[in-house]
Amino acid sequence: MFDRAKFWRYARYTILTVALLAAGFTLYLDIRVRSEFEGRRFALPARIYARPLELHAGLRIAQIDVVRELQEAGYGQGPREGDPGWFANDNDWLEVAVRPFVFWDGLQPAKRVRVAFEGGAVKAVQDAEGRDLPLARLEPLAIGGIYPANNEDRVLVRLSEVPKHLVQALVANEDRNFYAHHGFDLRGIARAALSFLRLKGLQGGSTLTQQLVKNFFLTPERTLSRKITELFMAVLLEIHYDKDEILETYLNEIYLGQDRDRAIHGVGLASLYYFGKTVEHLTLAESALLVGMVKGPTFYDPFRNPERALERRNLVLRETKDRGFATMEEYSKARAASLGVNQKAAMGTSPHPAFLDLVHRQLRRDYDEADLRSEGLRVFTTLDPRVQSAAERVLERKLAQFDRGKIFGDPGLEGAVVVTDTQSGEVQALVGGRDVRYRGFNRALDAARPVGSLLKPAIYLTALADPAHYTLVTPVDDGPFVWKSRGAPDWEPTNYDKTFHGAVPLRTALAHSYNAATARLGTDIGVERVLATIKRLGIEREMQPYASTLLGAVDLSPLEVAQLYQTIASGGFRTPLRAIREVTTQDGRPLKRYALAVEQAFPPEPMYLITAAMQGVVREGTAQSLKNWLPPETAVAGKTGTTTEQRDAWFAGFTGDRLGIVWIGYDDNRAARLSGAGAALPVWGEMMAALAPEPLALPKPDGIENVLIDPESGLRADFACSGAVELPFAQGSAPVARAPCASAVGVVVEQVKQQAKNWVQRLFGR
Amino acid sequence: MRTLLAFLAAAIAGCATVVQPPGPFPEPAPLPEPAARTENLAIAGLMDGARSDAAAGRLTNAAASLERALRIEPRNPRLWQELARVRLKQGDYVQAESTAARSNSWAGGDNQLRAENWRLIAQARDARGDAEGAKAALEAAERQR
Repeated sequence: MFDRAKFWRYARYTILTVALLAAGFTLYLDIRVRSEFEGRRFALPARIYARPLELHAGLRIAQIDVVRELQEAGYGQGPREGDPGWFANDNDWLEVAVRPFVFWDGLQPAKRVRVAFEGGAVKAVQDAEGRDLPLARLEPLAIGGIYPANNEDRVLVRLSEVPKHLVQALVANEDRNFYAHHGFDLRGIARAALSFLRLKGLQGGSTLTQQLVKNFFLTPERTLSRKITELFMAVLLEIHYDKDEILETYLNEIYLGQDRDRAIHGVGLASLYYFGKTVEHLTLAESALLVGMVKGPTFYDPFRNPERALERRNLVLRETKDRGFATMEEYSKARAASLGVNQKAAMGTSPHPAFLDLVHRQLRRDYDEADLRSEGLRVFTTLDPRVQSAAERVLERKLAQFDRGKIFGDPGLEGAVVVTDTQSGEVQALVGGRDVRYRGFNRALDAARPVGSLLKPAIYLTALADPAHYTLVTPVDDGPFVWKSRGAPDWEPTNYDKTFHGAVPLRTALAHSYNAATARLGTDIGVERVLATIKRLGIEREMQPYASTLLGAVDLSPLEVAQLYQTIASGGFRTPLRAIREVTTQDGRPLKRYALAVEQAFPPEPMYLITAAMQGVVREGTAQSLKNWLPPETAVAGKTGTTTEQRDAWFAGFTGDRLGIVWIGYDDNRAARLSGAGAALPVWGEMMAALAPEPLALPKPDGIENVLIDPESGLRADFACSGAVELPFAQGSAPVARAPCASAVGVVVEQVKQQAKNWVQRLFGR
Repeated sequence: MRTLLAFLAAAIAGCATVVQPPGPFPEPAPLPEPAARTENLAIAGLMDGARSDAAAGRLTNAAASLERALRIEPRNPRLWQELARVRLKQGDYVQAESTAARSNSWAGGDNQLRAENWRLIAQARDARGDAEGAKAALEAAERQR
């Protein structure tokens, strides 16, 4: 029997339960929408910048290099009305409309700069009125970021900054009734259904609010329950927030393209990425292009599918005009415009991942990882794009060249390069492997490899710091050498050329990197003392006090080697290597400066002597072949390094302005059969030659005197000695005895000179 | 007679001047005279900015401007000295001393500049409670005359 009363009772219960559930669900959604929308701040990546180029009269830089940097920063060629971010040039002049930029020390407004070039240098810097400017700082290149999950990148904008025509085009094409509906649009849904039935394909029908909800809160599945949840949340969002708030969030959220592994979100970043300009300067045509891409940023990618993108843009333009948001005139003008996109090399999360890795590690000492990935910090680094690209280019090319000459198969040779400023310790370039765009094993930081002869300067420095016992001409014995210590096998270093050279002057032993002589010298001085020197030079890694350590049976990374040589290059002032100058908040409030710090680790005299000896390595020793790239006047100081079975090839050297470390070898430690001079040095030489290095000229300290020496005997020479050389000595440490070649005449002349002086003095009573 | 003798003596001395053969170990190329190079407009501008920042107590900005200038002229001892002065005001006495020492390393024959650096070093040591070191530094400053 059908029990009517019972049925209604159950029905009531059911309805009540459903209503309660629906209410509970709505309440839950409401809480979610409100808490997440309000609490939600877009996670903004830390944005990393290269050093800004500072132009001033006298700066040695060619116009082409400045132009290249401007192009990379998205500056277009040829004047543009109204908005900055372009340059114009002829042979001698470059005019730049510099975009405004918030530096660490505040906002630098947009400005016009005229730069005159002459002979590979800046001749004058002027403003638009032709007045001389002492200094013009250009906008720094963005070189990547530290990204939130999914590598989402965005630049937040306010609705007031977004041009009206962009918003109008968006509303006209994506959600005509946006300003009227309550989160969903029945007419839109009907239209979508209709066009579906007419076999015109599935069209959106989602309001902007629904699209936002979908991107914001939901996964991209397309099920009915998702659709219903989306609808509910859209309505709730509309209840709590006004249209402008929703629109602003939408404009910042929307996905608009992909740059390798970096996702381009929001119209703020998209205008920079596609057009190299800030959003407020977008034209109607450019706005329409972006709006057109909302449907499918990959399908309508203007770089890869320009024709499709153009067609889509024009469709958007027509719709905008038809909805009354553009006049016929505006429409025709926009339709006639070209795409206007500004293609740059794909950058991804960074074009220089190895350098970014270094920056990231230095940042992690002071900041939380979560903050780095979400707070939009702005990080000003020391990377010099010109140096970095020279290092990348040369390493790639040389390794490919060496590989061709090898019988070994894959994987090929690897390499790493570090370049720093000799005076400030700023890291200007860092390459972590031959695939310079690859974010992976960073050999510059993490490949600890035997350094071979690269430690020798530390031994010679220890010796030269003791001028009572060692000078550049002190004979050292390069005869067979055996080191016996209990519990360890005998150590018998041999020379690279398999011969022993007998007694040689100290500077020659270094210049030719004689192992036996160096081992003897090092053990005479004491391994512990040498290790103390290495520590003072800036190596923190613990080293075993074994004699073999002296000849580089020690693993160091190229960056550590750079730190060690930095102290030598800056004349004994230890300067921690830095990759970061400043950090600010997203809106430019300064957070932290990484100040230049120096510490005098050695007195100037021994540093002067070791530098002179290292210049000898390049002038007449193992690094002579450097003359193929740089003229002798550059007076480079350097050292080659080659390890057992030629597994590692190193070169470390510095000019007046830059220190460079190059390592080449196989990851799996195969014998590379390449020497420091044969493989690492050519990379160094070619790279530095491309950078027009400043000659190395150390200031002569007070405690140093130059004395003419006969290389044969190592004794004092005079004009009668052919081939005599002038060498620096710590005051009072030069040999006293005269060389056999020093003429008797010379002695007599000296005496006569002295007597004449005395006589004249007596004569004039002085 | 005296003149003749003097002339003779001078002539002998002149003859005896040893002509140094150009050895393969050249004296490092002469440096552009450091102190005289301050006339660079960019440097002058940054230095002025740093001084007024320092006077107004904006020491971090002053240091930043000086570092900016040092990137342009890393061998300018006046910039290093000015930076040492700022470090002293910042209370960073260790850096003040080593930065003044760095200035000294580029000071060449400029004794006044050296003396001033030693005085800065003396102040830094004094502030650290190293009275003896400060005294030694003041003596070094005196020796520069």
